[in-house]
Amino acid sequence: MPLFSPHIGSQIVDLGSALLLLTCFAIVAQRRLSACVDLFALQSVFLALTASLVAFLTGIHHIYIAAALTIIIKVVVIPRILKNVIERLNVSRELMMNVNVPTGLLICGALVILAFFITQPIIPLGFLLTRDSLAIALAIVLIGFFTMIARKKAVTQVIGFLVMENGLFLGATAAAYGMPLIVELGVFFDVLVGALIVGIYSHRLQDAFDSVDTSKLTTLRE
Amino acid sequence: MTWSLVLLVSTPVVAGFVSLLVGQRRAIEVLQCVQAGAMLVAAALVAERVVATGGVSAGNFLVSDSLSAWLDLIVGVVGSTGTLFAVGYMGEELDRAHVSLRRYSQFFCLFDLYLAAMLLAINIENIAIMWIAIEGSTLSAALLIGFDRSKAALEAGWKYVILSSVGIALALFGTILIYYSSEHVLGVSSEALRWSQLYQTAERLNPTAIKIAFIFALIGYGTKAGIAPMHTWLPDAHAEAPTPVSAMLSANMLTLAVYAILRFKAVTDRSVGSEFTGKLIIGLALLSLAVSATFFLVQRDYKRLFAYSSIEHIGIALLGFGIGGLGIFAGAWHLMNHALAKSMAFYGAGLVFLRHNHRLLDRVTGLLGRMPVAGIAILVAGVALAGMPPFGLFTSEVLIVAGAYTARPEVAYVFLALLALAFATLLFQVLRMALGAPGEAGTAVGGQCRVFTSTAVGINIVALGMIGLQVPSGLGTLLASIVKMFNLGIEAP
Repeated sequence: MPLFSPHIGSQIVDLGSALLLLTCFAIVAQRRLSACVDLFALQSVFLALTASLVAFLTGIHHIYIAAALTIIIKVVVIPRILKNVIERLNVSRELMMNVNVPTGLLICGALVILAFFITQPIIPLGFLLTRDSLAIALAIVLIGFFTMIARKKAVTQVIGFLVMENGLFLGATAAAYGMPLIVELGVFFDVLVGALIVGIYSHRLQDAFDSVDTSKLTTLRE
Repeated sequence: MTWSLVLLVSTPVVAGFVSLLVGQRRAIEVLQCVQAGAMLVAAALVAERVVATGGVSAGNFLVSDSLSAWLDLIVGVVGSTGTLFAVGYMGEELDRAHVSLRRYSQFFCLFDLYLAAMLLAINIENIAIMWIAIEGSTLSAALLIGFDRSKAALEAGWKYVILSSVGIALALFGTILIYYSSEHVLGVSSEALRWSQLYQTAERLNPTAIKIAFIFALIGYGTKAGIAPMHTWLPDAHAEAPTPVSAMLSANMLTLAVYAILRFKAVTDRSVGSEFTGKLIIGLALLSLAVSATFFLVQRDYKRLFAYSSIEHIGIALLGFGIGGLGIFAGAWHLMNHALAKSMAFYGAGLVFLRHNHRLLDRVTGLLGRMPVAGIAILVAGVALAGMPPFGLFTSEVLIVAGAYTARPEVAYVFLALLALAFATLLFQVLRMALGAPGEAGTAVGGQCRVFTSTAVGINIVALGMIGLQVPSGLGTLLASIVKMFNLGIEAP
């Protein structure tokens, strides 16, 4: 007899996805950059747990590998790179934003509704266990996107991108019980290299502009 | 003859890493020349094989059908002349001590990896690994655009990294949705991500999921293709990148992004009919044309001028694909001719930049008399890009107008009006550069640079002229099977 009935399993997977979504809101509300990085790491932990749970319930073992890589790359390596950047650049708080926190949270709420609206027609296609997570995954992608627009500091824009990436990973796990392993390895590799490149860029931006405030990047205007 | 496919993809990888390791100027030069030759030959062999047998594959991994072979030819030929141009251009920068030898070898390593990632993306049958390869090309291009490390170059590079990353993330969501709908039909395996399998089973895929997937892919890869309104990174990146990179971005990377959109379109059309994708693509294509045509006249920077011209031409090619029928032929033809003409325009622009060290259009007039190679390159490319005969872009534009008249007359009117505007404004600027009153003198480039860059320009002019007047029979066969791929059940013209 299985440890969980499918119904309870599906509830727990939903809970994991909801925790991911909750950390998204926390990131949008948080002004301290290092706390944003910590929240991203926490979100990645939730992601790895949700993925492992799916792997356990479905018996598809390669999702465990993806979950382990999530822990290594997104919980350990990338947060360290970002903390390093923050420390070196001596930026701790984001005082000016394009959208203030309460408005930002309201917009994120609207994005969640939009995500459920878009995925409504295709949700019944999915596997019973994980199908509600697809809408949450899209919501996380959209909130990550919104964070990139709403914030000005280079570091938070990167976090926005990484949150999008987490949403995609949840989407792949939820919608399709994970992509084939070779695909997931490739995606991880790209994310890691991308984070390194962004790290390199923010160092150079700091050297050239004495700032990582991307609103100061205004040389190239039409 | 699967080795030609393996050769095509692996040459730049090997050449890139060896360049980084040897770190010697002469060795790198020889290596890059070998790579240029090997890519040209391998691309031609792959295309020849595909014409003869309909497809080439190396294992299950690398697969090339007619659309891939078409892109191989574009990236192979332009990548090969681009490599030669880069050897000349970067050699001159090295002679002038603008870059160190270490940076010089790093440049070629990145440049080659960039080409390799694009060739891999074209010749892969797995839709998700294609995404990984395209992301790889994005990342290597990001380092190439900021290569100068000036403020403006860093800003352009940052803008590119952020916008492309978002775009490519959305494209991944589209890819996941395709897998989401196909695994019900094909089972949880890599089979559910293969183009050929997807084409065969497209009719059984969930239409709503496919539609949403296509929208994500169009916006995502469209960002990389520089379609308006996601084009804002493009002029900056093209202007600030080292000129060989600008040429490759414009001629190869934009074409590659269009290729990815076409692959998704082929699946979507089979699932829900071409009306849905056609409307979306036509709308974005006309918007791109409108944006670029209005910005030609206000450009003061000649590299930005050519960058906006890229937005225009990618828009035109997509318009052809959106219209369908005759437009498919015209769109594919347009992509190849645009790649040849635009890379040549940038080769000319690179020579002008080496001479004057600035990009102000007003101060580099009358090039034909002072710098024959750059002058001819810019004049011929400009005339071709404006859409004048005897070049292929004229043919494809006329065909697109004709196709639009039969399918959607209202699109043809808008298209013609925008085309006329773009024609006049681009030609005005290019003729001013090539034929106007002679401007300032500048510093002449060295002999070696002149040899390499002239060769690159020469090959492009010959290729452009050869395919300008008629479609060679081998290319015709390829085009016919591309047309068949998109027009289901309709015989090729």
